[in-house]
Amino acid sequence: MLADTWYLFNKYMKITVRMPMWTLFTLVQPLIWLIIFGQLFKNITQLPGFPTSSYIDFFVPGVLIMTVLFGSSWSGVSLLREIQSGTVDKMLVSPVSRVAIVLSRVLHSTAQVIVQAAIMLVVSWAMGARLNLVATDLALTMLVVLLLGLCFASISNGFAIVLQREEPLVIIGNLLTLPLMFFSSALVPTSFMPDWIKYIAMINPVNYAVEAVRAVLVNTPNLSHYGSSIFILILFTAAATWWAVAAFNAQRD
Amino acid sequence: MIQVRGLTKVFPNGLKAVDGLDLAVARGEIMGLLGPNGAGKTTTIRTLATLCGFDSGAVIVAGYDVDREPEKIRQSIGVVAQNTGIDYFLTGRENLELQGHLYRMKKADIKLRIAELAGYFELEASLDRQVATYSGGMRRKLDIATALIHRPPLLFLDEPTLGLDIKSRKMLWNYIRKLNAETGLTILLTTHYLEEADRLAHRVAIISGGKIRALGTPDELKGNIAGDALTLHIEQQNWASQQFVTALKQTDYVKDSLWEGNKLHLYVTNGAESVPKISELAGKHSAQILTLSLSRPSLDDVFLKYTGSSMDESSDESGDEWWKQWAGKGGSGKWQQQWNEDQEQATGGNEHNNEWQEKQWTQSGQHEDAAATRPSDATIPAGNNPPQRQWSAEEMAQWQEQRSIDVGVDHDTASSSPAHEDASAKARPREHHDSERSTTQWQNSQEDKKSEQQGVSTEGKSQNSSGNSWPDQQDWLNGSGDDKWAADKKWSGNPSKK
Repeated sequence: MLADTWYLFNKYMKITVRMPMWTLFTLVQPLIWLIIFGQLFKNITQLPGFPTSSYIDFFVPGVLIMTVLFGSSWSGVSLLREIQSGTVDKMLVSPVSRVAIVLSRVLHSTAQVIVQAAIMLVVSWAMGARLNLVATDLALTMLVVLLLGLCFASISNGFAIVLQREEPLVIIGNLLTLPLMFFSSALVPTSFMPDWIKYIAMINPVNYAVEAVRAVLVNTPNLSHYGSSIFILILFTAAATWWAVAAFNAQRD
Repeated sequence: MIQVRGLTKVFPNGLKAVDGLDLAVARGEIMGLLGPNGAGKTTTIRTLATLCGFDSGAVIVAGYDVDREPEKIRQSIGVVAQNTGIDYFLTGRENLELQGHLYRMKKADIKLRIAELAGYFELEASLDRQVATYSGGMRRKLDIATALIHRPPLLFLDEPTLGLDIKSRKMLWNYIRKLNAETGLTILLTTHYLEEADRLAHRVAIISGGKIRALGTPDELKGNIAGDALTLHIEQQNWASQQFVTALKQTDYVKDSLWEGNKLHLYVTNGAESVPKISELAGKHSAQILTLSLSRPSLDDVFLKYTGSSMDESSDESGDEWWKQWAGKGGSGKWQQQWNEDQEQATGGNEHNNEWQEKQWTQSGQHEDAAATRPSDATIPAGNNPPQRQWSAEEMAQWQEQRSIDVGVDHDTASSSPAHEDASAKARPREHHDSERSTTQWQNSQEDKKSEQQGVSTEGKSQNSSGNSWPDQQDWLNGSGDDKWAADKKWSGNPSKK
């Protein structure tokens, strides 16, 4: 199973490397948001109780997670394309592990997202964000990126298998990513939220990802906060991956 | 190599895709499954290739039970599906390598095998180019090569030449034949090209409605049909022509006859001698023969004999893959839209026709796959076919060229004028009525009006005569049970019953 996953993962990576435009293209949206929101919310820091002195410092973890969200949530679209082109059938008639088919796709999206997140970090640093750029903090950040990428790539693939059509998948993708982002502390701190949004944020994996990244990347690292956030994120990710694999196995009669 | 007994597969939407199918394929044989799409060919192949389950029956492939040891079957089969399934952004070599890895082959072995296959399929020069730059024929070759990478003793080919031009098709046939002859590879192929089955397969199984209707070598099957095949275009519901046909059946040279809409298929002992006799007889009864063509019996005639409809009318491109069925189940599927569009175009917005089609739709319900696409093929004359159906026009022309010696009057091959289309669409309900099939929803008065509008000659001229497929169509909608086929045959054989 691991070998199968590796070969298939390699295949997807080769395809991606041959079309680097796509990886860069999905960066455009987070970049625009970084610039627009960075300017728009500039003065929010003057409100009492805002955790950082400059908004961009606060916003970088949010935009990082946004990149992950937008990057991995379309992973299912290409699965549908592969189903339609017969590639999936070709894999299924071979003795390849079924789990590897889903896993390799999810891992590939995640790898892509990690590269994108790294680029975003460099851009934010260039734009003057003051971050903790120590190796361990960066590694812990990337761990969050990896987990959230896995989580949403799995969700996207799972929906692709259940829905089996591109249009509803795109709608669900939109329906999921934007609210999840606004219902998290990506843009404003939790303390500024009305109560009902706070409650939603409590069951929102995106919120935990943002919190975890912010805990290590901004101000003085807070490892206990990071630990509790990432624990919940791991639960979400495990459930999503399991669901995607189960959906794929169930689909084949 | 393959033993199938009583294979039955019912889709979740209630469509019986395969219905008690029995099949045995011997080692080293090329077996062709011939039938229109929706006949159950692809489903059969998918079942044998462990891609989908089945409801009842016993299936043994390469010595293993499909239910119990699918893993072992996967190791011993190669599958080339309708969709190529190779990655366009990888090179040919990378595709082959990946496939080798997925079959858990050793690296050195993969290298060896790639060299072998590339040599065989003459792909060496393009092996390191991305597949996106390949031609359709080359992609097919690479597809077959990837399916053979692990040296399987058994190969499944599902419509191997679908969408290819004639040159590539012939090239591919050569490769397939050579593979079989040189390596003893057992091949099970599905096709709806009669010519393909005729040229490639050692034995042909004619499949329709999920059942095998006839099985034998192409020559055996053709031998079952005595003498030459004559096709008359003639107004069926006409007193003079009925007299003529009754007289015709009493002659000693007509061995067999079969109505297919306004086409009468006759099988005669000697074509050349009987043609003048027939036209003389027609003159005596003052019956009007619109066209008459004479040919050697082909697999099309065999197909007609065993299924009651000819291949041209009952075939169309559509897969029975699960996602497409899903698209149909929703009620707003692509195929349904296409069908509605086609109909609107064909009828010129005639209200009654639309109503009637809607009823057809509600009847067809979920039988999307079989029913939805077929009628559109029949309704649109060859010239108007959208590009993706190019092959059908091409194929038809090819067949016409090869088979027919035209003795006919008014032989109008390019019947693609809109008026014509309109006419043939209108002709349908009338036939329904006259055939005494109770399913017709038409009011009598409306029909009579239609009949008046209908010129006799326009209808007869229609090369692509759409009326023919309708009795058969009805069977499809109703689920194509065995008894229905029988009833249909009885009906078409007995036009004078009325």
